[in-house]
Amino acid sequence: MAADRQKAERLADEELMPLIGGKDPEAFAVLFDRHGGAAYSLAYRIVGERDAAEDVTQEAFISVWRSGARFDRARGSVRSWLLSIVRNRAIDALRAGAGRAPKLNFDDEAILEQRPAEEQTEEEAIRHETATEIRDVLGELPGEQSQVIELAYFGGFSQSEIAGMLGIPLGTVKGRMRLGLRKIRSELAEGWV
Amino acid sequence: MSKIEHERWREELSAYLLGALEPGEAEALEGHLEGCERCREELRWLAPARDALPETVARMQPPPELRERLLAEVREDARRAAAGETERHGIIERLRGFAGPRWRPLAAGAVVLLIVAAVVGYEIGSNDSEGGGTLTTEETREASGIIAAVSMEGTENGRIELNNVEPLPPDKVLEAWVEREGEVEAVPMLFVPNGKGEAATTIGDMRGVTTVMVTEEPPGGSAAPTSEPIATVTIG
Repeated sequence: MAADRQKAERLADEELMPLIGGKDPEAFAVLFDRHGGAAYSLAYRIVGERDAAEDVTQEAFISVWRSGARFDRARGSVRSWLLSIVRNRAIDALRAGAGRAPKLNFDDEAILEQRPAEEQTEEEAIRHETATEIRDVLGELPGEQSQVIELAYFGGFSQSEIAGMLGIPLGTVKGRMRLGLRKIRSELAEGWV
Repeated sequence: MSKIEHERWREELSAYLLGALEPGEAEALEGHLEGCERCREELRWLAPARDALPETVARMQPPPELRERLLAEVREDARRAAAGETERHGIIERLRGFAGPRWRPLAAGAVVLLIVAAVVGYEIGSNDSEGGGTLTTEETREASGIIAAVSMEGTENGRIELNNVEPLPPDKVLEAWVEREGEVEAVPMLFVPNGKGEAATTIGDMRGVTTVMVTEEPPGGSAAPTSEPIATVTIG
């Protein structure tokens, strides 16, 4: 029997997943309402087009609907799992799009100004604050380190491809990537463990 | 394992998390991780840094129509499931129709084909990955000459590799599907053949999978197969 909306809203993401695995649309709706914005935003940042971002988000959530029962909480949070699906789908879409170049000039602040997030819940407000903190961490990274991380994660490029694009040795790319990610991790609050 | 070898893999953990390793390297690193607790521990420590990256993206509101479409689809799916008329049944039947006799349990004459193809498949798998072994493979559609092999990567992940794949039209990608407990599920990672006619994708969870198929789909993939499989591998 489908959990009603109010009941589903009180559940943690990890508790929603078995319900979604049991084909409960209300549990799915709650999951979308919690993470649909982040998923769509991530997809848009990667593919750079609204229609394509919409397609990617839809495919990712349908994938979750079909495979929700196999979510493994030992591997991380539902949100991380979901966003990793979105990221992989978006990179696939980017590669499949003939002649479409990845969106490499990321200007988050500009986008924020155009379309400010509508904070509707306390949880969303906390997430917004956390996102600001993480952006600050990223902003403190040396530019060459954040550049290779962004090219890899948001652009879907391999280390070798990045070395070729930037005209630097492969070992330099590896070093910048390693140092940058370790620095981000070191700066994250304990709550991110 | 030498200290130098360990350090070499340890230095690749960030690239692995960011999806920036070259094809084949990720599988090799996963092989190392199976036997290296120190690297597994470092990977667990480092993963939140990767998980934080999507949180830095400027937040946008998804179009309301997207939510409406999704909910309409899952409600209809749930309704069919509740009525005992699951979509998966229809998909399986459709694929059976596409695949024809090959989808049915192998006849005695087909066993020879299965064994021969399994040897070829093992060679394909052993060239490109370490630590895995081909489970079972079947050559599909002799006319096209495509050879498909499925191998394990670690204890849960799998990989399907195709050879002799013709170049795809620009509006097509390859999408893999697995059948598990009578249900057909899409494999998230879409893929395309390289210039040598080789194509491969990772299957995140091989537990309980009895069949792996590959179809040509529109860019972005499909929620359900829309064409005849170009390859079908029965997991024996």
